[in-house]
Amino acid sequence: MKNKQDIQDAVDKTMNSLDGLQRAMPRPFLFTRIKARLVREEKSFWSRALDFIGRPAVAMAAVVIAVIINATVFFELQSEPAQNAQDEEQVFASEYNLSTNTIYDASIDQ
Amino acid sequence: MDEQILIEKLKQGDEAAFRQVVETWQNMVYNTAIGILQNAEDAEDVAQEVFVQAFESIKTFKAESKFSTWLYRITISKSLDHLRRKKRKKRFAYVQSLFGADNQTIIEKPDFHHPGVILDNKERASVLFKAIDRLPENQKTAFTLHKLEGLSYQEISEVMKTTLSSVESLMHRAKNNLKKWLAEHYESG
Repeated sequence: MKNKQDIQDAVDKTMNSLDGLQRAMPRPFLFTRIKARLVREEKSFWSRALDFIGRPAVAMAAVVIAVIINATVFFELQSEPAQNAQDEEQVFASEYNLSTNTIYDASIDQ
Repeated sequence: MDEQILIEKLKQGDEAAFRQVVETWQNMVYNTAIGILQNAEDAEDVAQEVFVQAFESIKTFKAESKFSTWLYRITISKSLDHLRRKKRKKRFAYVQSLFGADNQTIIEKPDFHHPGVILDNKERASVLFKAIDRLPENQKTAFTLHKLEGLSYQEISEVMKTTLSSVESLMHRAKNNLKKWLAEHYESG
């Protein structure tokens, strides 16, 4: 097989070895198996959805989003002046008449 | 049934039409898949995937190309995806074996014998398939469609959405590569 001409002949014959090839055929009842696969895929919609949610990338993204929302809310609240909270308390108390009456208020009423 | 009517019925979800589509094109899809994957089980799996996708996305099929061209495109895309997944798994197993993660030995791909090859050419065809497996994806696709499916260069260019001259160039390079590898094989043999 070391002869150059022999090698060339072998290469040519191999290159032409697919001549006259017939199509390969799948096993019988392919349609039945495809139908079963379609039904299986329809049924597994929820399991596919759960798989999607359970993917590490999706789970990590959800955690990151939750952390960002928490951090945003936390820093927003921190940056608000404390005065505002006090004002709101006073407004709420006066609106619902929750102010503590003192002895002096009582004497004025009398 | 006329192809156009068949497609219309398939778009309406008609089961009989779907059955006819599968029965008409199953050999074409399977033969293309087995040519690229060189494994009967994988080809069967891909053929099923192709028809499931065709059924689910038939509404996106616009009669700009032939239905068979559309099916060829799905088959090639699915087959190449399957092949990439398999190679990734093999690479991962190899890396694992390097670190001794498990004691599984990596099994060499067995020789592939296409069931439609003439008996006299069986051994030579097996050698050729081994060489085809080494070709880059686009050369492998063009060569498979031409040799196994008997498509003309013009038809291949429609399937691969490329120009006729590109297909000619792909085929030329594919043949040169194959001849070079086969010569090396016979020199060492």
